[in-house]
Amino acid sequence: MTAASTSLSRRSAPRRRPPPNWFKRHERLVFAVAGVVAFALIWEVGSRLGVINELFFSRPSAIARAGFEEVQLPRFWVDFQASATEFSVGYVIAIVSAIPLGLAAGWYRRLQYTLDPWLNFLNSLPRVALLPILIIWFGLGVESKIAVVFLGAFFSIIIPTIQGVKTTDRRLLDVANSFGASRARVFLTVVGPATVPFIITGLRLGVARALIGVVTGELFAATTGLGVMISRASASFQTDRLLFGVLIFTFTGILGVEAIRRVENYFQRWRPAKQGA
Amino acid sequence: MAAQTVPLKRTAHPNPKTGFWPRPNERVVFGLLGFVLVLGTWELVSSSEYGLGLVKRVLLSSPTLILDAAITDISSGAIWPHIIESGKEYVFGFGAALVTGIPLGLAIGWFRRLNYVLDPWLSAIYATPTVALIPLIILIFGIDLGAKIVVVWLEAIFVITVSTTTGVKAADAKYHDIAESFRASNWTVFRTVTLPASVPYILTGVRLGTGRALVGVVVSEFLAANAGIGFYIALNGSFFSSARVFFGIILLGALGITLGELVRVVEKRFDRWRPAIS
Amino acid sequence: MTDTQIALDARAVQFYYEDPTTHERLLAIEKMDLEINVGEFVSIVGPSGCGKSTFLKIVNGLLPTYDGEISVLEPDHGRAHAMVFQDSALFPWYSIVSNVAYGLTCQGVPKKEAHARAMPFIEMVGLTGFETKYPYQLSGGMQQRANLARALTVDPEILLMDEPFAALDAQTRELMQAELLRIWHQAQKTVLFITHQIDEAIYLSDRVIVMSARPGRILADIRVDLPRPRELKIKRSPAFVALTDQIWSLITPQLHDDAPATGVAS
Repeated sequence: MTAASTSLSRRSAPRRRPPPNWFKRHERLVFAVAGVVAFALIWEVGSRLGVINELFFSRPSAIARAGFEEVQLPRFWVDFQASATEFSVGYVIAIVSAIPLGLAAGWYRRLQYTLDPWLNFLNSLPRVALLPILIIWFGLGVESKIAVVFLGAFFSIIIPTIQGVKTTDRRLLDVANSFGASRARVFLTVVGPATVPFIITGLRLGVARALIGVVTGELFAATTGLGVMISRASASFQTDRLLFGVLIFTFTGILGVEAIRRVENYFQRWRPAKQGA
Repeated sequence: MAAQTVPLKRTAHPNPKTGFWPRPNERVVFGLLGFVLVLGTWELVSSSEYGLGLVKRVLLSSPTLILDAAITDISSGAIWPHIIESGKEYVFGFGAALVTGIPLGLAIGWFRRLNYVLDPWLSAIYATPTVALIPLIILIFGIDLGAKIVVVWLEAIFVITVSTTTGVKAADAKYHDIAESFRASNWTVFRTVTLPASVPYILTGVRLGTGRALVGVVVSEFLAANAGIGFYIALNGSFFSSARVFFGIILLGALGITLGELVRVVEKRFDRWRPAIS
Repeated sequence: MTDTQIALDARAVQFYYEDPTTHERLLAIEKMDLEINVGEFVSIVGPSGCGKSTFLKIVNGLLPTYDGEISVLEPDHGRAHAMVFQDSALFPWYSIVSNVAYGLTCQGVPKKEAHARAMPFIEMVGLTGFETKYPYQLSGGMQQRANLARALTVDPEILLMDEPFAALDAQTRELMQAELLRIWHQAQKTVLFITHQIDEAIYLSDRVIVMSARPGRILADIRVDLPRPRELKIKRSPAFVALTDQIWSLITPQLHDDAPATGVAS
């Protein structure tokens, strides 16, 4: 009897936790910040002591200085503008074409069957492989990069969109039909809202694919753009400027994903809030 | 009361299957239609001997011209060194991503604080188009096979790691209490619960990784190489030999589809005990 | 509506299911005749897979490829019928009032007017104060109330209810049964109610139709002459228990193979 009761109390003990202290409450943040600071310090100190080859890996302070100098050059802003144009124009064209076409292909079964072989082929292909032919078609300017950005984002968006339409809850379609909803109304009130989460997934994947398109296109063959800046820095062994260029892409990626998270939150007010991160 | 009963709408039952021939499969019929339609139009507008010559040969080539190029380069053996070179890069780079990415993902999912420390880095690298690091990798490793293996590894590892981590966390949230109630040791929980439950997620990461690795192969060969399918495409592009460019692209697409299907087969093999996750 | 006007008249209804891959045809409902008078509350009980839900979907127009003849009363206002779905099936992206008004907006009623017309029914089912909530913020029982209000809002002559309380816990289910009777008295509707719970069917209905296992046929049409209004304690009366036994003895021989006993008992 006593044995049972002690084992019982021992087991229930962790349930009566004391209120978490500051460290426990902010554990996640503490470890994240500590990780970043420690990494930067080791990098900086290692580089200064010569343990880390400065030629190849630069160091945080040098990257910061290179960035500071870079943004004061007019050339940087020309490059920045070229990359921004390629990214935004290609991505927007992808959105306005992939979403309607994806909705249509999901809605009209035969259209989907017709497109399927090409969608499968092009989706399995690294789209950047099309760069050489795109350059033959559109030249070395921004147009060929817009094309590769578009292709990268287009397939990332259209495939989840089709999937979203096709996986619309059967029961909800029955409800709409049961109340005599017209085809257009079924589409607007049931299929559309049900597909929104899938479209947003596609938009998120599309950001990453679009950025890969910008970088690869500019590294491969271009006259202006941040990729060209990275190439130039690499050719002259300026690792600090090179990494500064990479960081700009990183921040663009983070900003893009964050922007889409905002869009997601707006469109999904009807969902229970996600717990945790 | 003016109301009266009216018959309910009724449509005839579709005729049951009759005759010898199976009903035509719409998926196949329309799939072929789309395939033929595109190839036919392409051939028609092209400057091949069957085409109307609306678009220059350099710009568009044509299905028959691509077939010619393919036959020439396969029978002369010119394409094989490129396929072998790309294959080596892929196998070593992707293999390295598997043996590093999966354990790393398991560790990050299992040790909460390791997750906290690495989270900002993973998020940052995940958001970075890692192809931007290729110039740096070439700077460090040169233009040999080693550099490409590093690029392929870098491209593939993060999707594998992140997906594995997600799997461990999901398994933990779902089964942890059950395992705990049996008072299993940490190692037993990991081996009997966490690992099997993570397999579908790991395989999803592997499937995504096959595509990323192919991107790594192509881009690194575009930027600095003297062999490989990407090199073959880029080189023929610079010669304006569109037919060979398209042949290279088709090779890559076929490779991509084959690898994707391969992983799907493995997924089915491992996943018999649970319904497919969407 | 004192005269016995017919609300639903089904004659020799047959229905085949076709397997989408093998194209094999499976007889789901065999020669079913059913007449329901205006204002009547009729339940259909039967083992799982006997085609009772299929019959409801046919009447609702969701499965138009049936054989036989079905006539429904075409009322001079509102609709002939409306369905109360299993598992509520509310649109998760619409607020409760938009969900309840959905049928009206399908008829082209402007949104504002549709919402105004939905309000009395939200009140009738006891959801006042929850109009702007989303479905996920409501309990299972409350979701079913909204589901019921959605069907009532289009003013149907016949209310078709497809096991609406099957997913609820035992207490909520009893409560909802009593609520349904109250609303039925208030709204004056004809009801065709599908359930696999015998006591639920008897408690609610004027008539209980017992169906066989697949292919579904009508085994018996049993009149329930218990006085109304009924209280929940009527379920313990001798007359009620006798009816339950009678229906059980009809269904028990039907339980074999693919019809798990748990689907009917409980």
